[in-house]
Amino acid sequence: MVFSYNWIQSFFKKKLLKPKEFAELLTTHSFEVSEVKRVGKDFVLDVDVLPNRGPDCFSHIGIARECAALTKSKIKYPKSKIIEDKGLKAKDFIKVEVKDQKACPRYTARVISGVKVAPSPKWLKEKLKVCGIRPINNIVDIANFVMLETGQPLHAFDGEKLEGPKVKPSASYGASKKIIVRFAKKRERIVTLDEEKYDLNDNILVIADAKKPVAIAGIKGGIIPEIDRETKIVVLESANFNPQVIRRGSKKLGLKTDASWRFEHGIDPNLTEFAINRAAFLVQKIAGGKIAQGLIDFYPKKVYPKKIKLNLAYVDRLLGVKISKKEIKNIFRRLNFPLYENSSRSILVEVPTFRLDLSLPEDLIEEIGRISGFQKIPAILPLVSLIPPKRNIDRFWENLSRDILKEAGFSEVYNYSFISQKMATIFEYRPKNLMEIENPMSLEQKYLRPSLIPNLLKNVKENMKNLPASRLRSGQWQAGFKEIKIFELGKIFRKDTPSKIFEKRSLTGLIFKKEKKAENFYELKGICDLLLEKMGISNFWYDTYKPTPEDSKISIWDPKKCAEIKVDHQEIGFLGEVSLKILEDLKIFSAKGKQIGNVVVFDFDFEKLQKLACEEHEFLPISKYPAAIRDLAVLVPLEVRVEEILNKIEITGGSLVRDVDLFDIYTGEEIPEGKKNLAFHIIYQSDIKTLSSREIDKIHQKIIKALEKEKEWEVRK
Amino acid sequence: MEYMVKLKLLKKGAQKEIKKAKDLKELDRIFRKYLGKRGKITQILRSLKKLKKEKRVKIGKEANLLKKIIEENIREKAEKLKEKVRAEIFKKERIDVTAPGKKVLPGHLHPLTQVQRRVEEIFQSMGFSVIEGPEIETEWYNFDALNIPKEHPARDFWDTLWLKPKNQKLLLRTHTSPVQVRYMEKNPPPLRIIVPGRVFRHEATDASHEVNFYQIEGLMVDKDISIANFKAIIQKLFKRFFEKSIKIRLRPSYFPFTEPSFEVDMTCLTCGGKGCSACQRTGWMEMMGAGMVHPNVFKAVGLNPRDWQGFAFGMGLDRLAMMRYKINDIRLFYGGDLRFLKQF
Repeated sequence: MVFSYNWIQSFFKKKLLKPKEFAELLTTHSFEVSEVKRVGKDFVLDVDVLPNRGPDCFSHIGIARECAALTKSKIKYPKSKIIEDKGLKAKDFIKVEVKDQKACPRYTARVISGVKVAPSPKWLKEKLKVCGIRPINNIVDIANFVMLETGQPLHAFDGEKLEGPKVKPSASYGASKKIIVRFAKKRERIVTLDEEKYDLNDNILVIADAKKPVAIAGIKGGIIPEIDRETKIVVLESANFNPQVIRRGSKKLGLKTDASWRFEHGIDPNLTEFAINRAAFLVQKIAGGKIAQGLIDFYPKKVYPKKIKLNLAYVDRLLGVKISKKEIKNIFRRLNFPLYENSSRSILVEVPTFRLDLSLPEDLIEEIGRISGFQKIPAILPLVSLIPPKRNIDRFWENLSRDILKEAGFSEVYNYSFISQKMATIFEYRPKNLMEIENPMSLEQKYLRPSLIPNLLKNVKENMKNLPASRLRSGQWQAGFKEIKIFELGKIFRKDTPSKIFEKRSLTGLIFKKEKKAENFYELKGICDLLLEKMGISNFWYDTYKPTPEDSKISIWDPKKCAEIKVDHQEIGFLGEVSLKILEDLKIFSAKGKQIGNVVVFDFDFEKLQKLACEEHEFLPISKYPAAIRDLAVLVPLEVRVEEILNKIEITGGSLVRDVDLFDIYTGEEIPEGKKNLAFHIIYQSDIKTLSSREIDKIHQKIIKALEKEKEWEVRK
Repeated sequence: MEYMVKLKLLKKGAQKEIKKAKDLKELDRIFRKYLGKRGKITQILRSLKKLKKEKRVKIGKEANLLKKIIEENIREKAEKLKEKVRAEIFKKERIDVTAPGKKVLPGHLHPLTQVQRRVEEIFQSMGFSVIEGPEIETEWYNFDALNIPKEHPARDFWDTLWLKPKNQKLLLRTHTSPVQVRYMEKNPPPLRIIVPGRVFRHEATDASHEVNFYQIEGLMVDKDISIANFKAIIQKLFKRFFEKSIKIRLRPSYFPFTEPSFEVDMTCLTCGGKGCSACQRTGWMEMMGAGMVHPNVFKAVGLNPRDWQGFAFGMGLDRLAMMRYKINDIRLFYGGDLRFLKQF
C-alpha cells in the first residue's frame, strides 16, 4: 500500500526522520518499504504492510502509530467535533435492520441533509491523488480520504434514492427509508457504480433498501443510490463485516476493491464510530449541510480489549537475550498498551482492539523483539546433546546412482513435474490413470508426469535443435552433437483407482545417437549393468519384453528391441529403443527424411531398485597364478541368444573359466544366410596353480564339443 | 699356461667387439657370446673344476677378474649407447604444448543437485537430519495444520495447484513446511531436521518464478531454542556455503506458522553491503523466511507448546544456486539445455 509522507507527518508536531531514513526504520522494525518516490512536494512510500497487520496498518494513522512507537514521539489524532442539528433525527429518516449479526457485527450510519455536491478542494484532491485514488466529488472523496486515514471503508448513499417500506413518492422527504443488511436472494442482480452487472446469490452479503440490493456489502456500491450533483441528503455508512464473508463474496464475483481488501484482513469494530464522525465532520466542513441528530448504531456485541499475561522469563528464553522488565514495560508504553502489574515474574498487557493480530504471549514477544530491534539479539550457538544426524538412506542411494551415471558420461536434467495433453495422447496414457490438475497454468501442464520418459524425449528434441549452432561457437560441442546422454531422478505420479495414488521415484536415462546401430542398445545395457552392480544388485537379468494388455507402454517401446530388467521374477525396469512412431510423433525423426537415428532408454522403478540395493561387498582374493586367454568363434542361427551360448560355456568350463567376454557379433559377408558369428575371449585361471597349456586345451576342447552338440552350431577353428 | 693365453685372447676379442658394437642389440649378443649361459668365459669358469686346486685358484681368479672387466666394459658401453639413443630421441621428438588436450566427455550433475548436497552437508555436520515428504499433499498438512485456516487472506501467499477431483482436497505442496508437521507427529523433540524438496506454485513463470522449484525447510525444537540460536546457525550456514564472512539481519515478517516471524537478509554478495543494482541499492539480499514455531503448530501435532520451543525456516534452493553461479534466469534449471547443464 502507498502512503503519503506529508500525511504521516501531519500527525506529529515533531519533524519526522527524512523519507529515506524513515523508510529504513520501518523496514527494520515494522514493514519493508519497497520504494520511496518523490511526488511534487510530497514523498510516496510503498509499504508492504504484513497481512496480519492489515487491520491496524492499512491506514495513515496506523503507520503514524508505528512511527510514534519506534521514535518515541507523541501522536496527535485529528479532531472531528460534530455539531448535530437537533431539528433532525437520523432515526426518523432511516431504519437499519441487520439480518445476520455474524456477517455484520456492527453497522453505523449518519444522515446529513442539505449538502452541496461539488468537486473537492485542492488539498483533498492532492492527498487522494498521491495515494493513487481518482477524485470524484467532495462526498465520495471524503469517504475515501477517511478510509486512507483510518482504515475504515465508508460508503455514501443518496438518501432520497433509497426506498422505504411504504411507496409514497410525494412524501419522500421525512418518510422513513430502510437499510437492510442481508444475504442476496437467488436471481437478484446489481449494477455497480462502474456500471458493471453482477448476478448475486445467497453467499453474497448485500446492503438493500426496502426493495432491492443497493450495494454489495463491503465490496462496492450500486449505481442506483449514487451520489450526484443533485444529491441533497447523504446517508453515510461505516460498518464492520465478517472477513470470511467478504473474502468469499469478492472471490465469487471476481471483484476486489480497496474496501473488500481491508475487510478481508479484518477491522476493529470499534473503529466505525470514529471514522463516521470524522467523515460527517468533513462533509459538513466541505459540502455544508446539517448533521441529523443521533448515530444509528447496530452493535449487539461490543468488543473489549483483551489482556494477555506475559511471563518475563519466557521473553528472554524465546528471544535468546536478556531484556529488562523496565525495557519491556517501556516498549508497551510506547505502543500505548495499558499495563497491569501481575507479579514480579510476569505482567498483564492490555491490547487495544485495533490490534487484531495480538492474542498470544508469543505475539507480544514479537512486539518486544521488533521494537527493541532484532539486531540486538546476539548469535549464540545452541547447547544441545551431541546426537549425530540420522542417515538418510534414500539420499545415499540417490547420490550414488547419480554419481555412477555422471561418471559414465551422463548429464543430469531436472524437468517439470507435468506433461501436456498432447504428450498424454502421443504416449497413449489413459486419462483415468493420470493425476489431473484442477487449475493448470496452461495446457502444457495439464497432468502430473506418469513417467520421466516424455520430458526426457522433449529434452532430446530441444538439444538437437541447439547443438549444431553451438558447435559453430565453441569446439567443445563437436563430440556432443553426435550423441546426447542424459538422465533424471525424480518423482512420477499415477492413479490406479480413484483413491489409489502413486507417487514414486523413477530413474530414467537415455542415449541418443544419429547412427542407428544395435550397439547403442548394448552401450546403454552396459550402463545398466554398471549401475546395478555398483548398487550391489548382482542377480539381475534381462528378459524378453512382453507387453501386458493394459500397459500403455506398448506405444513407448519398439517391442523387438526392448528388455524387461528383472531380479528373480520381479520386474524393476525396462531397457529398449523408443518406437519409431513416438519419435515421429515427437518430430525427433521423420520417417521419410534421411536423418534416422535412435533413442535407447532405461527406465527404473527407483523404489524397487533401492529396496534391492545392498552396501555390503565382499572382497574376492586375487589369484596369484597367471590367467590364459583362448579365443573361440561360433557360428549359430540368428535367433540363438548370446546368453544360451554363455551359459553353455560357463557350465561346461566350470570354475576354471574365470570370465567370458563377447567381443564381436558379425553377420553379413562370408557368413551364411540366417546365421551370425559370435567371437569370445575365454579367460582361464586357477586359484591354486599355474594352468598348463595341456590342461587349458582340455577344457577348451570340452567346451567346443559341448557347443557343437547343438544343432546348427558350428565352432570355427 | 694354455688357459692364460686363452683368457688374454678372449679379453682382446671381447673388448674389440664391444668397442665396435653399434647398438644395444649387438651389445646384448656380445654379452651372451662371452658371459651368457654358454658364453666363452662362462664355459672356462665351468671347466675349472676339472683342474687341480692350485691351478684352479690361479686361473679362477684370473677368469673371474676377466668376467668383471668385460661386464664393466659392457655396462659402460651400454650406458654410452643409451645416452646416444636418448640424445637422438631428444633431438627428434617434440610436443606442442599449446595443441588442445584430448577431449574427455564427462557427465554432469545438475547445479541444484550440487547445491543441495552442499547445504545438506553443512547441516548434517551440525547434527541436522535430512528428511523428505510427499509432493502430493493434503490441504490439512499444507495449510490447516500450519495455522493457515480456510478463507484466510494469508492463503493468498501460496497460489496453489489443486488436483482433480477437488473434493479430495489434494494439492501439490506449496512449500516444504508440511513436513514439519509430518515429522513432529511421529518424532518427539528434541529434533533437528532439514527438508529439501520440490514445491509448486500456481504462478506465471518468468526469470525469477517457476511453477515448480526447490525449497529447504529447517526445524529445530528443544527446551529453549531461541532466536539467538537461529541467528548463529544461519550465520554458520551462509559462511560455510559462500565461504565468506557474512552478516545477516532479521526483519519483522509474518507467517501463520511462526511467531515471532522474520525475514532473513544477508549482506549483498556483489557489493558487500554498499548497495548496488543486484540488491536494489539496499546492500542486503533477502534469503529466507523464518520464525519461532507457532504454538498452534505444536498443538496440531499433539505437543504441548509450554514444553517445547524452536525455530523453523524456509529457503529457496534455486535462489541459492542462482547466487552461487550467478545465474539470472530460474527457467534454465528446468529446460534440460545441455549447453547450460554441461557447465556444471
